[in-house]
Amino acid sequence: MKTNNHSEIGWHMILGAIVFLMLVPIVFALSNSFKTLQDAFNTIFEIIPSHPTLENYRHVFEKLPFVQITLNTFLIAASVTIFKTITSLFAAYSFVYFDYKGKQFFYFIMLSTMFIPFTVTMIPNYLMISKLGLRDCIWGVALPQFADVLGIFLLRQAMRGIPKALIEAARMEGIGSLKIMRDIILPLVRPSILTTGIIFFINSWNEYVWPVLILKSKENYTLSLALQMYISAEGGTEFTIAMAVSVITMIIPLALYLIFQRYIINTFAASGVKG
Amino acid sequence: MNNIVFEHVVKAYGKNVIVNDLNMEIREGERLILLGPSGCGKSTTLRMIAGLEDITSGSLHMRGQVVNNVACGDRGVSMVFQNYALFPHMTVKNNIIYGLKAHKMEAAEINRRLEEVLEILQLKGLEDRKPKDLSGGQRQRVALARAVVKRSDYFLLDEPLSNLDAQLRLRARKELVKIHEMYRPTMVYVTHDQIEAMTVGQRVAIMYRGNMEMLDTPSHVYNMPASIFCARFIGSPSMNIISCQYENGNLSIGDQMIRLAPMWRPIADACPSGKYCVGIRPEHIVLSSRPTETSICGTVKYVEDYGNRYGVYIDVKGEKSELIAICNDSVPRPGENIFMNIDFRKLHLFDAQSEKSLGYPEEIRRLNAALDFSMPDAQNKNQKTGGKYHESFGQYQCV
Repeated sequence: MKTNNHSEIGWHMILGAIVFLMLVPIVFALSNSFKTLQDAFNTIFEIIPSHPTLENYRHVFEKLPFVQITLNTFLIAASVTIFKTITSLFAAYSFVYFDYKGKQFFYFIMLSTMFIPFTVTMIPNYLMISKLGLRDCIWGVALPQFADVLGIFLLRQAMRGIPKALIEAARMEGIGSLKIMRDIILPLVRPSILTTGIIFFINSWNEYVWPVLILKSKENYTLSLALQMYISAEGGTEFTIAMAVSVITMIIPLALYLIFQRYIINTFAASGVKG
Repeated sequence: MNNIVFEHVVKAYGKNVIVNDLNMEIREGERLILLGPSGCGKSTTLRMIAGLEDITSGSLHMRGQVVNNVACGDRGVSMVFQNYALFPHMTVKNNIIYGLKAHKMEAAEINRRLEEVLEILQLKGLEDRKPKDLSGGQRQRVALARAVVKRSDYFLLDEPLSNLDAQLRLRARKELVKIHEMYRPTMVYVTHDQIEAMTVGQRVAIMYRGNMEMLDTPSHVYNMPASIFCARFIGSPSMNIISCQYENGNLSIGDQMIRLAPMWRPIADACPSGKYCVGIRPEHIVLSSRPTETSICGTVKYVEDYGNRYGVYIDVKGEKSELIAICNDSVPRPGENIFMNIDFRKLHLFDAQSEKSLGYPEEIRRLNAALDFSMPDAQNKNQKTGGKYHESFGQYQCV
């Protein structure tokens, strides 16, 4: 028992240290976003500001079309999440439940694209979006992300965990593929869909390189581009404003996580005990 | 006519042949059992009927139509899967009526059928539970209810009792027969359990390595097996099979010789290869301390106690394999010399080369026909048993 307690304390200390390291930048950003630039330089590690101010937030909302920027980011992330999930679901379903020639071959070809770096596909994608006239448009940012190998892979794995007999039982009832997908597959892989959805959303929310290539005007900016304005060489030293933008940027993904955390934890727990 | 006809049906995965040239007719309204060891192709045969497996060559007829290319949902077939395949996110009620709802059946009719199956299968009060909250027996009944509620012409069951304990199995067997008697669908039942096959089936098809070895009533399968494989597969302990010589009406087993009964001689004379195997079931060997004209001598090697009877393992001089005999009382001791009396009405002769039965004398055929309670025609069976449940275990008959 004693050994168990000791090892438990050891684990808690390690986990505590990791949590601390992860929390430091968040608390740092939150705390400094409520300080004036002067205060921030004088008391940069003071957690609770001695003269709290909302000046940085006001600046952000006054000087930038910030509601528009947040909306842009949300629209891109939401549409990417929805379309990516739908395309991943259909592709995964076909890879698991349909029999056709070359199925394995196509799957591995598709899977291998996961190892192609973004920088390789960046230029062809840019040219395509240009030809479609979607430069400096949020849909130009979203469109190339509507299909994703990672999603297909994750959902295929989840569907493979569903006994084939369930699908056969539904087929014996004369149920078509779309209805099987809606009535049987979707409820059973819901935790996986939510997890992949969250991953898609956060990846798209944090996307920087692709939006910076496509978007030019400030009203089309996403949050990561807005943030860059304050932390780059052109942005100067207004780092308290940058902290305020950071705080706003993380609020929506954090809220989403809090709403769906039950499912996310369930999915990761289930993947741990399976088999 | 809700029969099923297999015509030269082959199922192969590449070069691996799973079902080889299957020809069989499953009659309308009968209970046919597909019996065989694992990997013999029985489940594949069932799945071909269900439409879940494509047919490589040959044709499958249902209701007089070729159904090779008919989708499983359009064949009018219900199926109970081995692991029940209940939808885990649906309640018992929704599991049962899912198919009916999907086909937009009238709500009143759905409710009527639901109430009926819940009543028959004793599932009242469990309608709103999820499968995870049910016991194994209850799950099995829900799977059965889902198949019954469709009122299909064909009822397919893939080892539906294999996950139940022995007592539940016995009850479920009776329920299955009862349900079949109610609706009389054409029922095909896959199992590797010989007791299930003998008790549920009106006819039994024994499969081995993709081939159908025998198709007959349970009684005939037990009493007149068509091959050495069938003889060994049915019955426990399995039949003693001994290589022997036959000459001028004499049968040599090991170093001993017995005079074959006259009724067997024309059959033995007609053996194509001239190489013989004799088969005798352990329960048909009568042990005695005195010799008779039809007995062979042996030495008791060891005795197994089965609780209600004993298995006696006997070494026969000049014979490599030991024989097993069943006795109920006066058990001989190991090392004791003993005589095994052979009843020629219970004897089996096989061609040692083809491993097929050489056939049976008319007298034995008549005797077995009189004993056969499991008539292939369900109507006849009901008349014969007065509508009561009748179980045949091969060696025992219970009413």
